[in-house]
Amino acid sequence: MTKPAPSHPWLAAYGQDIAPELPPSPYANLAALVEDACARHARRKAFTCVVPNGMNGSHSFAQVGALSDQFAGFLRHECGLARGARVAVQLPNGLAYPVAAFGAFKAGCVLVNTNPLYTPSEMIHQFNDAGVEVLVISDLFADKLARVIPQTGIRHVVLAGVPEFFPRIPETIVRGVQKIWTRSLPPVPKLDVPVLRIREALRRGRKHPKVTDWDQLKPDDLALLQYTGGTTGVAKGAMLSHANILANLEQVRAMGSHHMTGQDCVLTALPVYHIFAFTANLMTFFAIGARNILVPSPRPVQNIQRALENYPVTWVTGVNTLFNGLMNEEWFAAFPPKTLKAAIAGGTALHGAVAERWEKITGTRLAEGYGLTESSPLVTFNPLEQPMRAGSIGVPVPGTEIALVDDNADPVEDGQPGELLVKGPQVMLGYWNRRDETEKTIQNGWLFTGDVATMDPDGYLRIVDRKKDMVLVSGFNVYPNEVEDCLAKLETVLEAAVVGTPDAKTGEAVRAYVVQNPDQSDELTREAVVAHCRAHLAPYKVPKSVIIREELPKSPIGKILRKDLKAEVRAEFEGKA
Amino acid sequence: MLTELETTLLGVMMMVIMLGMGASMTPRDFLIAFRKPKGILVGLLSQFAVMPFLGFALAMMLGLHPALIVGLLLIACMPGGTTSNIFAYFSKGVLALSIMMTTVSTLVAVVMVPLLLSFYGGMAGVGGEYAIPPGNVAQILVVLLVPTMIGMVLRKLNPNIGATVELIGSFMGVVVILFLIVTWVPRNYQLLLDTPAHIYFATISIGLIGMLFGYWVARGLGQDTNRARTISLETGIQNGPLAVLVVTLTFVGVMQEEVLLIPVLYSLFIVLSSTAITIWYRRNATREELARDAAKVVQSA
Repeated sequence: MTKPAPSHPWLAAYGQDIAPELPPSPYANLAALVEDACARHARRKAFTCVVPNGMNGSHSFAQVGALSDQFAGFLRHECGLARGARVAVQLPNGLAYPVAAFGAFKAGCVLVNTNPLYTPSEMIHQFNDAGVEVLVISDLFADKLARVIPQTGIRHVVLAGVPEFFPRIPETIVRGVQKIWTRSLPPVPKLDVPVLRIREALRRGRKHPKVTDWDQLKPDDLALLQYTGGTTGVAKGAMLSHANILANLEQVRAMGSHHMTGQDCVLTALPVYHIFAFTANLMTFFAIGARNILVPSPRPVQNIQRALENYPVTWVTGVNTLFNGLMNEEWFAAFPPKTLKAAIAGGTALHGAVAERWEKITGTRLAEGYGLTESSPLVTFNPLEQPMRAGSIGVPVPGTEIALVDDNADPVEDGQPGELLVKGPQVMLGYWNRRDETEKTIQNGWLFTGDVATMDPDGYLRIVDRKKDMVLVSGFNVYPNEVEDCLAKLETVLEAAVVGTPDAKTGEAVRAYVVQNPDQSDELTREAVVAHCRAHLAPYKVPKSVIIREELPKSPIGKILRKDLKAEVRAEFEGKA
Repeated sequence: MLTELETTLLGVMMMVIMLGMGASMTPRDFLIAFRKPKGILVGLLSQFAVMPFLGFALAMMLGLHPALIVGLLLIACMPGGTTSNIFAYFSKGVLALSIMMTTVSTLVAVVMVPLLLSFYGGMAGVGGEYAIPPGNVAQILVVLLVPTMIGMVLRKLNPNIGATVELIGSFMGVVVILFLIVTWVPRNYQLLLDTPAHIYFATISIGLIGMLFGYWVARGLGQDTNRARTISLETGIQNGPLAVLVVTLTFVGVMQEEVLLIPVLYSLFIVLSSTAITIWYRRNATREELARDAAKVVQSA
């Protein structure tokens, strides 16, 4: 049975700055945290939302406190929600998000973060699974409501815009542009449930006495249902408690140590409905009195230019594609922000070349962390005081135990790859209404991540691959990452993804999907791909089939979705069976 | 001709446009632009070498009346119009380059436009009463630089005001043209009907040929496609309203009406042709942009 790793070899990497013991959170729940931060930093700016032309709006901590109180009043008294009721928030980054999310916490409700780009059927699945009663949605996607609302138990809909809470003139201009030029503002359909704009909801909430019974929320009460697709089929809700998030905040702070202060200004270009930006940016920096610069849409990456120019950004969080995109922009590469202290990468593997180039251009660290929705999310991080270790996800954050195990859940030999297990205060309570899935994923308090990792002698971890993505060729393990890395080195390849296909002879065979690099005039051919792999990989790892595509399926934050390709493979081979 | 009030209004609108142009810039944009000064130099070349010559060649080929030659040469010698920035923006071009080209060409125009006008005017044999005094052009341009500076300061002080002024400025670029249509077209209805086709041809083609040359000159001198598209728009789109202003401040009566014909027609048609070209460029740019977004890092050894 699973035993913890016998020692903690990574403690040396903590150095002087990181305390090995995780301090307990001073708060009992997230509402208490919000209340305290808003009172302590009242006059400081908490959130500034910047649209591509530089127009912006801000909330002070005091405003966030007052508005989220009003929203809590609206949820409890106008919508009649009980504590524990689910409130879905489906917004891009903007000033309305913290009002709605913190309002839900203060009302004692459970926040259901929802991707604004979801299709109606994805929305229906998620809202029904979570039992959502109130939906706060971006007015850019109001047209989806006609299909979604009648098929769910949602009783109230609240609309918020991208320029919500901007000063009057910029708000009017941005909305005018959305309406007339980009035509991205659909009409609101007629629905059987009340639909209010968020300002009207707040006005109604204001009439009621302030909701204060959040102080009865216990640490283990549910704070978030954070949906995750995982690699298998339908999305399920990870139940994250107040204590989970609060513990992870302390863990992020421990790793950031003295580099994180209330004077900081963090660029929040990743969507806050995603757990990475939710915990790292929205909650952690807010809790210490720092300022979030919210960018509603970071694609194309020029959309970030004014945000970086006009504010003294000290921290940036992002994914590999974002950092790469920024460095390909002349305005960034030539004049990187002078105020920058460090950047955090997560979400997907950070390429060593990107990290090195970032440090060369900005003179600051780009440190990679690792985490998953089920762990709120941070599990490991590269200590900022230590030299960069390329390809490593760093060391476990304080308070976290890890183990690497084989298929029988027995610890593997030192240095050998094994499935990464995590135990700590940030690990979720389980999957919402899915006891079987929970029992498969959490055993004896250990979270089975499904990621295969190795550990260096000094405790630094490296992710080898997703266990479920492993391809078994004649009994040999092939890790798609390794083949993809090899493919990426071919100049004519822009990007690549590797999955397994059924094979009569070898059980499974390796298949590569590749995209032509438009900057290269040489044509990408199957023969060249196979020849390149033969030169660099063991024969059983060489793709048996190569498919050239215009593009690869990607998640909203830019992760290549192997699961979509696997689904294609399944569909393709089902017919042949 | 335009009344004094209308001329004043035109002047005020030009000031608002220049205020908007200033608000679209930061000192850092200058620094970035001059890191790769080649783009601007290429732009200046197509702006002040290719365009005036095109204007002259067209005028000679079509054998125009001196008043029309002056109008066409004036348009051909003008610096880039601020509307080019809005087209560069919507075509997803290099906005900073467009703004810089407009700014730099406006600065250089103080010297170049009078020189080019007397040179090509002389070559074309336009003189005497149709000559535009060099001082006029220089003076107007210098006056317009003041609101540009104010715009830059506004942008620095408050991004919301800056972005609003920038938008109003771009918007004003269209308003000016509407204003010209409303004030000038009804009074010259008959003139428009009497204007022969080859004059329409000259006014429409100078912009389009300018864009074509601008693109290929830029590509030939090693600019990437995105910058070439920006330079192309910048070359073809001249500051038509400025030409109108120069004419109204220089000529009166019937002469003004004659000389105004081409600048006004140009200002009208360039909006249409630029819109079409912008939509086309935007499509190309979007395709390239998505590819670039996903581009892997080219390792610098």
